[in-house]
Amino acid sequence: MKIVIAGAGEVGSHLAKLLSAEEQDIMLIDSNAERLATLDANYNLMTVEGNPTSFATLREARVGSCDLFIAVTPYESNNIVACSIAKNLGAQTTVARIDSYDFMNPANADHVRHMGVDRVIYPEQVAAEEIITALRRSWIRNWFELHNGQIILAGVKLRQGAPIVGMKLKDFAFTNRHFHVSAIKRNHETIIPRGDDLLNDGDILYFTTTRDHINDLLTLTGKTEHKIKRVLIMGGSKIAVRLVNLGREQFKFKIVESNLEICRKLPQKCPDCEIIHGDARDTDLLADIGASDMDAFVALTDSSETNIFTCLTAKDIGIRKTVADVENIQFISQAENLNIGTVVNKKLLASSTIFQLLLDADSSTSKCLALADAEVAELEVRPGSKITRAPVKDLKLAREMTLAGLIRNGEGMLINGNTLIEPGDHVLVFCLAGALHKVEKLFS
Amino acid sequence: MLCRIAGWLLLIEGFFMVFPALTSLGYGESDSVVFGVTAFATALVGLLLARFSKPQSSHMGKRDGYLLTAMVWVVFSLFGMVPFLFCSRPIGITDSFFEAMSGFTTTGASVLESVDGMSHGIHLWRAMMQWIGGMGIILFTLAVIPMLNHSGGMQMFNAEVTGITHDKIQPRISQTAKSLWLIYFGLTVILVLLLWAGPMSLFDSVCQAFGAVSTGGYTSHSLGIGAWSDSVYIKVVLIIFMFLGGVNFGLIYKCLRGNWRSLRYNDVFRTYVGLILIMLVLFSATIIARGQARTWVDCTIDPLFQIVSTITSTGFTTTNYEAWGPFVLSLTFVMMFFGACAGSTSGGAKIDRILYLFKNAHNELHRCLYPNSILSVKINDRVVNPDLVSKVIAFLCIYMLLIVGGGLALTACGVPLVDSFFSSFSCLSNTGLGAGVTGYGNSYEILPDGAKWILSFQMLIGRLEIFTVLVLFTPAFWRR
Repeated sequence: MKIVIAGAGEVGSHLAKLLSAEEQDIMLIDSNAERLATLDANYNLMTVEGNPTSFATLREARVGSCDLFIAVTPYESNNIVACSIAKNLGAQTTVARIDSYDFMNPANADHVRHMGVDRVIYPEQVAAEEIITALRRSWIRNWFELHNGQIILAGVKLRQGAPIVGMKLKDFAFTNRHFHVSAIKRNHETIIPRGDDLLNDGDILYFTTTRDHINDLLTLTGKTEHKIKRVLIMGGSKIAVRLVNLGREQFKFKIVESNLEICRKLPQKCPDCEIIHGDARDTDLLADIGASDMDAFVALTDSSETNIFTCLTAKDIGIRKTVADVENIQFISQAENLNIGTVVNKKLLASSTIFQLLLDADSSTSKCLALADAEVAELEVRPGSKITRAPVKDLKLAREMTLAGLIRNGEGMLINGNTLIEPGDHVLVFCLAGALHKVEKLFS
Repeated sequence: MLCRIAGWLLLIEGFFMVFPALTSLGYGESDSVVFGVTAFATALVGLLLARFSKPQSSHMGKRDGYLLTAMVWVVFSLFGMVPFLFCSRPIGITDSFFEAMSGFTTTGASVLESVDGMSHGIHLWRAMMQWIGGMGIILFTLAVIPMLNHSGGMQMFNAEVTGITHDKIQPRISQTAKSLWLIYFGLTVILVLLLWAGPMSLFDSVCQAFGAVSTGGYTSHSLGIGAWSDSVYIKVVLIIFMFLGGVNFGLIYKCLRGNWRSLRYNDVFRTYVGLILIMLVLFSATIIARGQARTWVDCTIDPLFQIVSTITSTGFTTTNYEAWGPFVLSLTFVMMFFGACAGSTSGGAKIDRILYLFKNAHNELHRCLYPNSILSVKINDRVVNPDLVSKVIAFLCIYMLLIVGGGLALTACGVPLVDSFFSSFSCLSNTGLGAGVTGYGNSYEILPDGAKWILSFQMLIGRLEIFTVLVLFTPAFWRR
């Protein structure tokens, strides 16, 4: 697939590296030559120096013949203009990263499409949704559901004392037919487990299951659920604003922000939410605002390090659920090992959206979730695709992927070796980073 | 991983050797056996390396890229020299290695006093070595082996392709390599047909075409292109294709896609053309002033042929150009130093770098008068990063040092003073001229063995544009 990416910022370069590893043709546009130089020299992609909103640059990047145009410069209006030009020059699908809910509002959808923007990515919105899911189910790290929960993928960290610690995977699978362990994250690395792998203390297991059995998972993993009501947010960032607006009916929010300017503007953006000026790293302040009575702590400042460390402090003073925004991808697995409940990352969320587009040109039906070094995708099976030719055990699947579950006629079920996949099924695939193109081949 | 890729590369070399073997077989020569056995042995070693080396990881870093690229060129020459050792007119190990390295690096300096009487297989193999080396061994591999289509391939691409920055013409490295090779292949085929249409046999056309497009300079005739010197047609056709061989292939690609504007706005291309025209005026004036112009060809086509042949580092000669006097000779030195455009098959320091140098020198002079003015080096209407300018200047300094260093080493081997420096220069710039200019006649055969090894090394450094080879000799490269 020919993909043009405008903007080599954090999201843009992350996408470029990722997609180039997925064997796509990548053109990367940015006006900063130095930023491009390192990417150009080290990755299998081509760069074009120039302004992403100029016709000349976009022509030079051969936008006219591209399948996907992604505008992820820091400015929303630039992205919209770039998409508009690209669409007019002949780009198949255009995606713009936006900064305000305005462009996502269904009432404006026609206008947005008219401007030449087919899809929008609003990482802050997606991040806020992620956080809300995490707050609703405090014992889960990742939650991915298809078709109103017919199939659910849940990431759970195993602790000493859980009944299944020390079991071999094949023994676990034998006694628990309603769960499929799709992947295990162990020591900074995600693996697709085989029957002989042991389930260890400290592993994050990715279970696939159906809605009826999700509560059994609690007992299996030795977790208890506790309801979250009061949430303390550190940092009045864009994600915080989205979070408060999305979740104000279910949760009671308090925001601590150290910048007075931002504090003054917050009441306007987040009505009925308590705003405190101060530094959440200060333990006296935390005691003052009654932090120990809070149910959850969400750290959303611009600094990943601050977010990680304050989450640890919050754990110490007795807050049970913590969520941190970690923008440095290399810190994510460290943060997960440090017992931070849920980690969100805007880049990964943005790439999830792009992967959806990659896997399925008409992606209204499929979903995708990007983890630090793996991806989860829902794919619709087309008639005649390779995957329908034999039962799963005879398909000779690559080691980097596993088929977790499927939805047939609106009903979720798990996949085992004898399952024969039929056209029209929606299949949940778990694959390690860089293997998505193999999955794509299997489904075409 | 290094061994495995080297294995694949050797398989490819083995495949290329099949062609001279078949040619020899077709002409009923005994060398067909030599080529057949060599091709088989090369492919076998390649197969063993590719099959039975266990790569620890498929990741390739910068170090691996440099090491592999430099290593591959040496290994290719080592296998490529085998036919010379065992052919019907065998030569020694040193000579064979020199001949092979000179071929792959498209230097075209030969140790063969006369190539007449060599088998057709040998002729074809000499031509093919240049042709493979001209566009690049690694680049060919990138085009045909899909496994290298990742960032490891990028490192190798960077280490091999000539030029200051490496302009990709397609998003993925294998597509870039394929496009470049396709252009190269297309040019070669057209040239073969054009030459064949003139007074040249098909076999000679192929050999000469390989030598011209790759800007190598080996010919299949002991008189060189002089053997066809009475045909203006042949000369004109060769001039055009040597010229094209000196143009940045990325630029040719753009033109083929219909973007002719880029030609006009490309500073390097304009300088390249301008330089050739200025040289032509100077050459012609000198020839006329010396009264050596008997026909119009003598003061137009002949000097033009010599100019293009020198500036693109081909090293073909038709006439006895040293008879044109010392001024013309010194102009020849200048052109050998400059070379043609980066990203082409030619050698030398490349016009791009010379442009950087001159523009930067101009800025420095201006700064003497206006110390506070901010000046930038601009190429193709783009401001160049100062880091790049200093890299180019470092390149040119090392380049000069290598010429002098190589010359010194040659004098230590007992080669006369002028000859030493000239040969060192000629080999580092991959021109391979040297025949008439130096005292030792038509070939490099007369040189002592040590000198030949030094020159082979110079050719390798010159072809891989210094840094790729020299970085292997820095302690930092081996310290992890």
